[in-house]
Amino acid sequence: MRQPTGQISRFGTLKSLLQRFAFLSLVGLTFALMLIGKADTVLVERARVAVTDTVAPILRFMSEPASAVSNVVSNVRELAGIRDENAELREANARLLQWQSVAQKLETENKSLRSLLAVTPEPTASFVTGRVVADAGGAFAQSVIVMAGRSDGVRKGQVVITGNGLVGRVMLAGDSSSRVLLISDINSRIPVLVGDSGQRAILAGDNSGRPHLLFLGTGAAVPGDKVVTSGDAKAFPPGLPVGQVVSAEDGIVEVEPYAARDKLQHVRVVDYGLSGILESSAPEG
Amino acid sequence: MQLTSLQYMDGAARRAVPFGLTLILMLFALTPTYVPGLSDVTPMLTLVSVYFWSIYRADLLGYGAIFGIGVLEDLLMGTPLGSGALVLLLCQRFVVHQQKFFYSKPFVVTWMAFAVIALGAALIRWLCVGLVASSGFTPIGSLLTAYLISVAIYPLVAWLLAKTQMKLLADI
Repeated sequence: MRQPTGQISRFGTLKSLLQRFAFLSLVGLTFALMLIGKADTVLVERARVAVTDTVAPILRFMSEPASAVSNVVSNVRELAGIRDENAELREANARLLQWQSVAQKLETENKSLRSLLAVTPEPTASFVTGRVVADAGGAFAQSVIVMAGRSDGVRKGQVVITGNGLVGRVMLAGDSSSRVLLISDINSRIPVLVGDSGQRAILAGDNSGRPHLLFLGTGAAVPGDKVVTSGDAKAFPPGLPVGQVVSAEDGIVEVEPYAARDKLQHVRVVDYGLSGILESSAPEG
Repeated sequence: MQLTSLQYMDGAARRAVPFGLTLILMLFALTPTYVPGLSDVTPMLTLVSVYFWSIYRADLLGYGAIFGIGVLEDLLMGTPLGSGALVLLLCQRFVVHQQKFFYSKPFVVTWMAFAVIALGAALIRWLCVGLVASSGFTPIGSLLTAYLISVAIYPLVAWLLAKTQMKLLADI
């Protein structure tokens, strides 16, 4: 009777020893991975690209229901406000028609002036539209995965926008998917112009929903000021709308991005033909 | 003979439920919610799942599986590789080690314990990411929001997992 009990307890001890060994070696492995990630970023980036490419179709499938619900909700909301919206649109239309005539006049004037000065035309931008399938909005990183990759012409460093404003930049481009670093990520630094006076500043993310402005003189920004890209450092084209200053207290100026995070369903990846810092400093992932 | 192999497959599939659900919850945390205010924070759903299974069925979710899920999460979320896996491993080790404490405790106690463990997990991860990432330490504010949301969402996720456990794993 005693022998089997002894065997079982011996087996139990062996099992718990093995488990402890497995636990300790896996913990060791996580530390090794952290060190590898710090030392060999290219290798880790490749792994990220490969995994994202593989998992993106599953994420697209999983994001369908939320996307459908969100569409229904916004449809219902639109229906409720359709009369008011119609009146607003009529007004806007009348206003825009006036602007159209002004724009046409300016365009002809611009054309003739350009021909006088022999200005070289800016390269035209091409773009692809992709669906946002994952939103990794954590406290440690703020990025989204977009269902468009190298096979669609997406390259690392390209600018990502919505109809409302700047979203971020392509951080890693896989074959069929890509990772976009949002302007709210702690690694994001964007040269911008603030307000009508066009004060220069750097828009820096801090992993919260609202990035803040650096290197801006005190009192240089008030809530309501518009923030646009300055085009310095050639990472972004000048004049892209970014957001609006929402608070400027104790020297901390917070900006609410125009491209609302909770409405990111489709984004546009634009190739402005810029040679930004990202591309030259790090190899293509 | 055929029935036995079918039974075997059925058992194997049921045994894989904790791993499968943890994986699904990890991917679910990544999908866009389109809820205003919630898009900036991702609740720690993977941690909730690992914590739950460590209390009730640690035998079905081994260290290897947890390590794999953690590394996959790091790869997909863009966080430093290894940091997520480390926290999940430590969580399971701690819960299994304190098995006597968790044994047949009421729900509120396990919820409170989760609040403590999740705080520890969030801080350890914050420390790891801050030391490894080139951007340095992230502001603690957004971490705190993610933590509070995770604690708030715990009852719902734990209830769903418990329902699944009772339905699929009662006799395994």
